[in-house]
Amino acid sequence: MSRLDFQTAFEELTPLLLDSLWVVVTLVIFSFALALVIGMLIALGRLSKNKFLNGILVVFLETVRGTPLLVQLLYVYYVMPEIISMIGQIWDPTYHVNFSAYTASILGLGVNYGCYLSEVFRSSIQSIDKGQMEAALALGYTSRKAMWHIIIPQSLQVALPPTGNYFTAMVKDTSLCAFVTLGEIILTTQSYASQTFLTIESYTIAALVYLVISLPLSQFVRVLERRSRRHV
Amino acid sequence: MSDVMIEIRDLHKSFGDHEILKGIDLTVKKGEKIVIIGPSGSGKSTLLRCINYLEVPTSGVVRIENKAFVEPGKKMDEKHIAAMRQQVGMVFQRFNLFPNKTALENVMAAPVTIRKMPKEEARKIAEKYLKKVGLEHRINHYPSQLSGGQQQRVAIARALAMEPKIMLFDEATSALDPELVGEVLNVIRELANEGMTMVLVTHEMKFAEEVADRVIFMDGGFIVEEGTPHEIFHNPKHQRTKAFLNKVEH
Repeated sequence: MSRLDFQTAFEELTPLLLDSLWVVVTLVIFSFALALVIGMLIALGRLSKNKFLNGILVVFLETVRGTPLLVQLLYVYYVMPEIISMIGQIWDPTYHVNFSAYTASILGLGVNYGCYLSEVFRSSIQSIDKGQMEAALALGYTSRKAMWHIIIPQSLQVALPPTGNYFTAMVKDTSLCAFVTLGEIILTTQSYASQTFLTIESYTIAALVYLVISLPLSQFVRVLERRSRRHV
Repeated sequence: MSDVMIEIRDLHKSFGDHEILKGIDLTVKKGEKIVIIGPSGSGKSTLLRCINYLEVPTSGVVRIENKAFVEPGKKMDEKHIAAMRQQVGMVFQRFNLFPNKTALENVMAAPVTIRKMPKEEARKIAEKYLKKVGLEHRINHYPSQLSGGQQQRVAIARALAMEPKIMLFDEATSALDPELVGEVLNVIRELANEGMTMVLVTHEMKFAEEVADRVIFMDGGFIVEEGTPHEIFHNPKHQRTKAFLNKVEH
């Protein structure tokens, strides 16, 4: 058995990981933004009185929450372009689409986290006292205006800490995007480790990179948690 | 009859199979102060909440200054109802202040959002009404930093800032510690003296006798008896009114 060589691994792998880190950071920003939008839309859809819309959303939510994120990423990357191409070929036989690994990752993470966030938003909206809506209506707000100006701002304070937790979780879940060939931290580490055989060193460094991001984030969430309880 | 402020005709309200209001007729004139009393479950709060359509009546008509919330045979129009509600201020038992807004922001919110008033102007109005309820030194406090009595006074200022023509008070002092009731009643009394049209549901019988032009006794979803405070409190005609007053006064 050879001796551990952390110095070499650190000197060679770290610059590569910094590039991957940039991929992860932008990926999380775009995916989480998408997840927030999807989450709020689904939450509002589920709170609407439209039974048909509600039914569709429940089926969609259960499907997404009942399958692993990895399967969804693979599906978005490999299967969806095929399906879209097949449909497109009805009109144009040469039609063909591909998703880049990056696009597929944004879509997969965004939709998956959107579904989980929708439950956070929905329950935080429902947690707001009914008297708040009544007070707004009595002042002359329409129910839509009351929702946007009175209820949702309060519910976001309630939703902030769990949303922060999901944000931290998403950073870690970007590692799954290695399976759809995205050059993020794990894929980079894997290829470096297989070339150099510095297996222990490489994966330990990769794990440390995740820790360095996650620890401050979860600390930040704890601060949010304290602040969010101030006036609600 | 141009001075009719509120007109209620044959109002019914059911929750499921349970009929709460069984045909209410009531006319309130401009500047009149109506106090509704009655045992719990008699429908008095429901009646009050029908006056601004927080409860949608099962049947019947509610008109404010001759305009109905929903004309008989027509569909509900949420925007019209919201516009009508701007003329009717309401104060709740549990204050229902917006906890994430300061006293000032609570009062400014509706003028800015609904009246589209410039913030500076709304701020002046908010300050005026917070001063009126004696809270000019608390405008930057959050509801959680105020006593119950102060919160309720902010709630009154918030309703007044929309400059309503009618004020509804739904047991406005019932959730308050006894020593805080007086400060809220003082504000309501002042409003009454200024000629505001008011409908109050209250358990404060002394106060009711003092401010009411007319007292309505409700029981079982009906108006059992109505009259001047003197008639109702000192010379009630119905057995049920007598029984109720005996219970609350001893």
